Amino acid sequence: MSQANPTQSGLLRRIVSSLLLLPFLLAVLYPFLWMVFGIFKTNREIYQPLSLWPMKPLDTEYWSGIADTFFPNEFSMQNVRDLLVGKWVPFWDVFGNSLLVSLGQALGAVALSAMAGYAFARFQFRGKRMLFLLAIALILIPRQLFAWPLFSWANTLGLSDSLFGVILPGVVTGLGVIYFTQVFRQLPEEYLQAARVCGAPELRVFLTILPLVWPSLLSYGMIHFILAWHEHLVPMYMLTTESQKTLPLALTKLYDVSQSVSQGAQMAASTFALIPTAVLFAVCYRKFKSSLSEML
Amino acid sequence: MQESAQPALRANAGVGWTPFLFLLPFLFFLILFWLVPLVGGVKMSLQANGFGEAEYVGLNHYLILAEDERFFKAIRNSFVYTLASIVVIVPLSLWLAHLLRSTFRRLRPVLTFALLLPALTPPSVLAVLFLMVFHGKYGLLNQLIVLPLGQAPISWLKDQDFILAGLVLQTVWRWTGFMTFFILAGMEGIPRVYYEAARLATGSRWNHFWHVTLPQLRPVLLFVAVYLMVDGFSLFSGAYVLLGGSGGTADAGLLTITYVYQKAQFLEYGTASAISISLLPVMLAVMGAFLFLRRRIA
Repeated sequence: MSQANPTQSGLLRRIVSSLLLLPFLLAVLYPFLWMVFGIFKTNREIYQPLSLWPMKPLDTEYWSGIADTFFPNEFSMQNVRDLLVGKWVPFWDVFGNSLLVSLGQALGAVALSAMAGYAFARFQFRGKRMLFLLAIALILIPRQLFAWPLFSWANTLGLSDSLFGVILPGVVTGLGVIYFTQVFRQLPEEYLQAARVCGAPELRVFLTILPLVWPSLLSYGMIHFILAWHEHLVPMYMLTTESQKTLPLALTKLYDVSQSVSQGAQMAASTFALIPTAVLFAVCYRKFKSSLSEML
Repeated sequence: MQESAQPALRANAGVGWTPFLFLLPFLFFLILFWLVPLVGGVKMSLQANGFGEAEYVGLNHYLILAEDERFFKAIRNSFVYTLASIVVIVPLSLWLAHLLRSTFRRLRPVLTFALLLPALTPPSVLAVLFLMVFHGKYGLLNQLIVLPLGQAPISWLKDQDFILAGLVLQTVWRWTGFMTFFILAGMEGIPRVYYEAARLATGSRWNHFWHVTLPQLRPVLLFVAVYLMVDGFSLFSGAYVLLGGSGGTADAGLLTITYVYQKAQFLEYGTASAISISLLPVMLAVMGAFLFLRRRIA
């Protein structure tokens, strides 16, 4: 990886930059800390506002007051237990559904887009330009814009209230096709020549070079998994049975302004919902970043 | 991400149907789950509201929309919302990426990851966190920014002058770190020799940024802008949780996709589809602009 500005990066510069980043880090991380501590709080504690104003930075009581609101009174696991035994929503079903939907969408999208990208990058054919424009149109006109006609069509196909009704429409992606077109375009021609040597059929050539681009396959798979994990509108129309729903739907159900649902359970569900995508991204971080650096 | 002219020797001319074999699965799903529903949407927009085989009403829904103030308000809000988020996020994430490059090497991945955490969080969670932490009379926005300035606390979700600003802030909070990550990756891909050459010409860091970094980052910035644009127009979850599917006071936070949702909620599928379809020319214009810019960049 190239280091563009190696000189003059004195210690002072590094310290100042870190300090400048600090308020942004606080603004991002504070709500997440609040969420995690919220798991152990009662509804009353959660809705109790943090009172910073008027500021008395020298008063110890001021600070202990803030600490009292920020930290839970006791670390009770009741909310987690309620959530996991399915007091409010069938949590395990919902979590499993989300995993299935996101994995299915990611695998399907990687397979379809890698093949299409290979065709765009490696062949000249009639209608190529038009098809490529179609891929861009696909990005700009996402299926969320016509979620209702999509639902009624899926219903005709017998896919409503089935996870396939969410997975199958989710495997078509314009972003993926454009990404893989770029990936295969940058692959040195020699690799392909080597793979073609024995006059192998083009599909064999494709399968031979796939391992060479695995960081890109992984990177796109990860991004697509995350997008699928967050999808809200299409599953909302598609899935009606409680045990068929996905996490974003369950989370909106748990967020209850009338406060009959314990909001600590909502915080617990939110925390669990963040874990898969955060772990996935952390694991793929380096590969993803370097494959982006090479491409952009 | 650019489509450059393909050198003849790299391409595999005269292979007949082979490329279509590779495109077949993609095209199959594209037609089945994108094109057919899209055409279905057009058809639905020409039919009377309601279920099943409804009668054709021609362009009636569109004519009604042309006089619907809420429709224009929704379009206007979506535009303001999207443009404002791009205008705030792009410079901010450029700056943050620059700061990240200047911090201690070992801290960089940890800090970058921490900053992009909101992008990994489901939007419905984000909206709840945003609502409970930043909003409201006792929210942090009021306590840290408004009260110290000696102003009365703002009710971000009820005051019609601030609803849209609240939505924009939520998007900024959500996407800035993620875009910073992309820009950072782009910056690390810029060949070192460019800076060495630039250093011969001038010692000013600002000039290096303006004449080397920024031009090299154009494809990334274009990607970021397009991503935010699509997200801004098709985003649903954030506004849904924040405003409960309503447009907020005096529809000040009514976005196009929320309006589509509302119409579908009242079983006015024809009208809902007509709203979606009337966005298509807008999107196609954006596509034209995108292709034009991409060609200029390439």
